[in-house]
Amino acid sequence: MTAPTVRFTDERLANGLRLIVAEDHLAPVVAVCIWYAVGSKNEVPGKTGFAHLFEHVMFQGSRHVAKTEHMGLVQAAGGTLNGTTWLDRTNYFETMPSHQLELALWLEADRMATLLDALNQENLDNQRDVVKNEKRSSYDNRPYGQWFHKLQEHLFPPEHPYHHPTIGSMEDLDAASLGDVAAFFRTYYAPNNAVLAIAGDVDPAQARAWVERYFGEIAPNPKIPPLGDMSVPPTLGGESREVIEDRVPLPRHYFGFRAPCFGDPRLDALEVAAQILAGGKGSRLYRRLVREERIAQDVAFFALGFVGGASIAAGQATVRPGVDPAVVERAFEEELERMALEPVTDDELARARALIETFELEALQRVDERADRLAMLATLLDDPDLINRQLARYLAVTPADIEAVAAEVFRPDNRVVLTYMPEAAPATHGEDEEPAA
Amino acid sequence: MTLEEILAARPSPGQPRAYNFPGFERTVLPSGLQVLAVHVPGRPLVSANLIFRVGAADEPADRAGVTVLAARAMTEGTTRYPGLELIEAAERLGSTLHADASWDAFAASVEVAASRLRAALELLDELVERPTFPAEEVSRLRDERLNDLLQMHAEPRRRVEQAFSQTIYTAGSPYSRLAGGNESTVERLTRDELTAIHRAVLSPDRAAIVIGGDMTGLDVPRIAEEVLGSLALGGSRAPAAPVAGRAPTADSAVERTTVRLYHRPGAVQSEVRIGHVGLSRRVPDFHAVQVMAAILGGLFNSRLQLNLREDKGYTYGVGAGFDMRRGAGPFGVRTAVQTASTVPAISEALNELHRMRDTLVTDAELAVARDYMVGVFPLRFETPGAVVGAIGGLFVNELPDDELARYRGLVEAVTAQDVQKAARDHIHPDRLAIVLVGDADVVGKDLEASGFGDLEIIREELSGEVGEPGGHGVGE
Repeated sequence: MTAPTVRFTDERLANGLRLIVAEDHLAPVVAVCIWYAVGSKNEVPGKTGFAHLFEHVMFQGSRHVAKTEHMGLVQAAGGTLNGTTWLDRTNYFETMPSHQLELALWLEADRMATLLDALNQENLDNQRDVVKNEKRSSYDNRPYGQWFHKLQEHLFPPEHPYHHPTIGSMEDLDAASLGDVAAFFRTYYAPNNAVLAIAGDVDPAQARAWVERYFGEIAPNPKIPPLGDMSVPPTLGGESREVIEDRVPLPRHYFGFRAPCFGDPRLDALEVAAQILAGGKGSRLYRRLVREERIAQDVAFFALGFVGGASIAAGQATVRPGVDPAVVERAFEEELERMALEPVTDDELARARALIETFELEALQRVDERADRLAMLATLLDDPDLINRQLARYLAVTPADIEAVAAEVFRPDNRVVLTYMPEAAPATHGEDEEPAA
Repeated sequence: MTLEEILAARPSPGQPRAYNFPGFERTVLPSGLQVLAVHVPGRPLVSANLIFRVGAADEPADRAGVTVLAARAMTEGTTRYPGLELIEAAERLGSTLHADASWDAFAASVEVAASRLRAALELLDELVERPTFPAEEVSRLRDERLNDLLQMHAEPRRRVEQAFSQTIYTAGSPYSRLAGGNESTVERLTRDELTAIHRAVLSPDRAAIVIGGDMTGLDVPRIAEEVLGSLALGGSRAPAAPVAGRAPTADSAVERTTVRLYHRPGAVQSEVRIGHVGLSRRVPDFHAVQVMAAILGGLFNSRLQLNLREDKGYTYGVGAGFDMRRGAGPFGVRTAVQTASTVPAISEALNELHRMRDTLVTDAELAVARDYMVGVFPLRFETPGAVVGAIGGLFVNELPDDELARYRGLVEAVTAQDVQKAARDHIHPDRLAIVLVGDADVVGKDLEASGFGDLEIIREELSGEVGEPGGHGVGE
């Protein structure tokens, strides 16, 4: 089985916009994905959550597009769309029937060029309320909902840009002003801070002409402020633990580690290790903790790649009723540490490779995934061609590579352990209270 | 031209490329098993889905959950591949075996490189035909399900879904339960019962294997016959078989609008569901209903979204729609709103339900909904897995083979009058269930005063006994 090569062109407009076009006519579908090199890591204290709030404002119209019209035009064209914000980036994407490509490019250009014309207090206040409700439903009103924010706090020091959550705090969201929004736009939403990827049923010459037409005249910002030094020591330097009482029925551990940066081949080895540890029913953690010892209800382990100093490797195990959480923690940690002490078996590695190959082929079938990866690799690593080498890199990982990265990462002095415990029933919930029904 | 001049002119669409839903070929094997093969050129992976047209809606109430548990337990080992050997064999092919049951179907699937299709089908055959249901593993899976139910009670959005189903359906309807079963029935399930339901499900004359991908050089009907030709011939045909066309009981338990609030002290949001018993997938005005639902709560710019999110900022998102099953699945508005906005948000949602019935949608609303549904159609079927899933849906719901080929024409033909008629026929604001998980100490009084309907407040412990309103005991 060989992975199909993603052929693409890669160029820069005079104003610095990087354009990547990958042509493929299998389906009458085209994906447009634009990555801005700005994420929650660019936020300063007192203004957390700003990059993400701004992402919402980007859907509130621009000079030639009314509020809610962006969504309306794309949907009426038979397209799908969204935007996301993360530590290292903000991206916006549309997947369209291929004859509607020009509309998507125009919409992206109009908001890159003229967003501030449509910005007003009413729209900002409305989207601030929407974002506060997003925070409530995605984190605050969800059992175990703050785990990732807690890992960020423990893994990065307070002055580090990865220390705070992308969603921000309610106080900072409340404090965001129109002036902040305008300044943020002028600073970061410039063509020379963006990568535009187009993948699918497209005539590259035509696409290039449209991009030149709609984006070519947008002025760059020559003074994008560089981020400070984000480097951190490769390990935490001591175990960090927290017990959290929450409205949860079962205890759960979350584990976090500093890990090599996105793009580092050691992170590939760590991802293969994660597959062997927790990728499905044949994996080590599932086999031991869930199936054989029956001490955990579920297990997971994965790596989240970041470019600013360290990635995060994270795991979780939900404790079965009646089991001592300490027993689950010990078993989980033993399996991680075992990766550093003895080589994985040939069969384990062969199974992990075969599965990773299928996952990669499956993901790259879709034009939206291809566009997103090309833009991501160009933005974060200046290496879009890695899309064609990544699978080979995973398949080249050896047992020795896994042992080495496990020895670096899975150390007690590089470990965060969060333990969620069911909170004691509040007094108002006493036995003397009758159900109202 | 200046940038302003360039951007001031909106582009118009190009010429659409022709698109047709890929045709599939049907071969019926001597056993009765249907082989539905669909060519999706240029894709390196093949999807195969083996479906039996019988599901959780067909199981007896006192064994609720047995079908889902049996499906999931099939991967715990077979005669030839005990324990995890089956999983490992699939992984060596770069493939994961999935087995699960829904309300209407019992299915096992695999995705694999085209060159390994035969080997993967052999594992699928082994999985479905010869699972051993080891007692130890069955009891573990049963305990995991019970633990999952505990977790579900703690998670507001899962809790409200369960409470909503339980509120709108009579206890005699399978849809009042969870497809995976509730505590009282799951805890009693044994290996023998799984074996029995498996035997009852397995019959080739209600089964199809749907295979999609690049078929170049593959004789799929022949491979299917060689590997699956004798599949399930030993199964018994009678007990679990749904009678063709007969739908599960789906009677409404709500005669006039009522409000049921599950108390969560301190909750910063209220999870809200508003609705009633809805429709079967075989409803004659399916396309008009879908256009109506898109305008009400399906599109990003649906009426509910524009009102509750973009105008009022009460919520991160709100949707509405019909979950169509072989029987009448639920119709519901779904959202989570900040606690202080609970009553006004419900009020606005109710207004939107009335408005769908009372007035015609505008030409612009109709055009956006129809154009979206027609235009997005090719995007939905980019990969073999999506095509296979859609064809499987036709088989399960006993719909005509050309249903998907006709879809876009039928959507384009829907008029504003059709939409209003669909709303009047299928949305019933006088007999809604309004079900919430939220802080009764904050919203209880306002809900009482709102006049939406009779209010019932249920206070339940999270990890201990689960309080239930009278007449709706769990799983009965």
